[in-house]
Amino acid sequence: MSLGAPIQGVTLYSFTRAFHGREYDLEQLLRKVADDGYGPGLEIVGYSSFRGFPAIDDAFAERFRELVDELGLVQTSLAINADIGIHRDRLLTDDELIEYMRPQIEAAAKLGFPIARVQISLEPDSMERLAPLAEKNGVTLALEVHADQYASHPRILALRDRYEKVGSPFLGFTADWGATTSGFAPSLIEAYRRRGASDELLAQVVALWDEFSQEGPPADQADHGQRFGRFTALGAQSGRPDLGIDFAINGTGLFGPARVDDWLEIMPWIRHIHGKFFGIDETGEEPSVPVRDLIRLFVENGYNGAISSEYEGWHWNNWQSAFEIVGGEQAVQRSAARDAGSQMVTDAVTARPQLHRWLSERSETKPTTTGARA
Amino acid sequence: MIPDRIIEQGTLTTDGTRSAVEVRIPWYRALPGSCISEVSFSVDGVPAPAESLRWTMNGRTFRLADLADDIEQWWFPVDSAVVSGDIPVTTGADDHRVDVELKLYIPYIVIDGDQVLRIEERDSKTMPAMTTEVAA
Repeated sequence: MSLGAPIQGVTLYSFTRAFHGREYDLEQLLRKVADDGYGPGLEIVGYSSFRGFPAIDDAFAERFRELVDELGLVQTSLAINADIGIHRDRLLTDDELIEYMRPQIEAAAKLGFPIARVQISLEPDSMERLAPLAEKNGVTLALEVHADQYASHPRILALRDRYEKVGSPFLGFTADWGATTSGFAPSLIEAYRRRGASDELLAQVVALWDEFSQEGPPADQADHGQRFGRFTALGAQSGRPDLGIDFAINGTGLFGPARVDDWLEIMPWIRHIHGKFFGIDETGEEPSVPVRDLIRLFVENGYNGAISSEYEGWHWNNWQSAFEIVGGEQAVQRSAARDAGSQMVTDAVTARPQLHRWLSERSETKPTTTGARA
Repeated sequence: MIPDRIIEQGTLTTDGTRSAVEVRIPWYRALPGSCISEVSFSVDGVPAPAESLRWTMNGRTFRLADLADDIEQWWFPVDSAVVSGDIPVTTGADDHRVDVELKLYIPYIVIDGDQVLRIEERDSKTMPAMTTEVAA
């Protein structure tokens, strides 16, 4: 198999603090992304960036597409939401959820995004039923595999098997690297330290995560619950029950313990990637996400889609610039791609037709484990 | 998630019997009224009685109970909502301590069976009060 050359990109989600804090409006943020070179790939969360989403008026869509063109960016994914719990008293039925997705998929097409990131509440039957709508709109539905799920999770394998049966090139996955992390993020540990947690307690948190990581993803919901309980107990025993809940939510939900080569289970159906990460350390590396191993795996498996750098550390890191941190992580990606004998695509002229080809050709090749390190 | 952003500094207003403050969503994306689960508002430790609370967003004022069924009005991430309630506050140069707690349903994160995640975030800031009309 020939090596892949993934398209570098970013999701504006990485810059939530700057947008939410009214430091940059949408246009200013797009210009910043272009000026600083975080593209060319551009991903946006519909309900974050577009007021009134999923209603998008024609004039706005036209201005938006012109701006993206002017800036030399390449639209990759519009992240849309399966808000199954939007009613207070009940979940949406499958029929209702499908209708809920429809205007969002149409908005993706109108705005010019070739991919819509969708979410786990959509069952295999619903994805199958959405395929004709995806095809009609020319929008690939890439269901996000996000911690605490992972590629070999039964729900994901059920989707994969259905995709194989349906055979539509418009159904696939978004691989979120948060499913395959290698440690509890040091920047979050630092944030807990700033909230008064002792070094002893924090060492216990890190050790507990490492213990669970050795065991791999939880076997079932009961196992998940036990892990959750052990994190909360650490906080309670140290007189910090508030932090205990936080340890548990993040330790079991944010930092997924699956192995890097778990992605091979669904590799031919991965159409888009969230390069989820949490920080860059003083050596210029990501200390808790194995970015280099992940890039090698995807390059060696011929991945030519986009990788949206998705910085999540902004939740707790209010002492460093998200812009600089994203720049640092993308430097790691480029270095890793070169080490794997390839490169990241960083120019729009190459990226635009490459993404189009990537989404129009259904992968027929089997994944390879060669070079997968983890 | 970004609870430090909830209360907008310098936005405490009062008409002498009712008081109000601007609040920002402690989340990265828009949520509809139905996802605004619980709100509490107090000034100098005096809480607004629950039945007196009103929520103003997109130019409309709601009782909290009326938000529960509303999936038409959305709270956009860069827009302030206004929470108001019966709290007598003195105006002038004196600072007041404002406390707001928000509980929000996150409609796409199913945590158990038919339950979705509910986040609980609180913020506390100190500011003087200005005189103005307050939504009732």
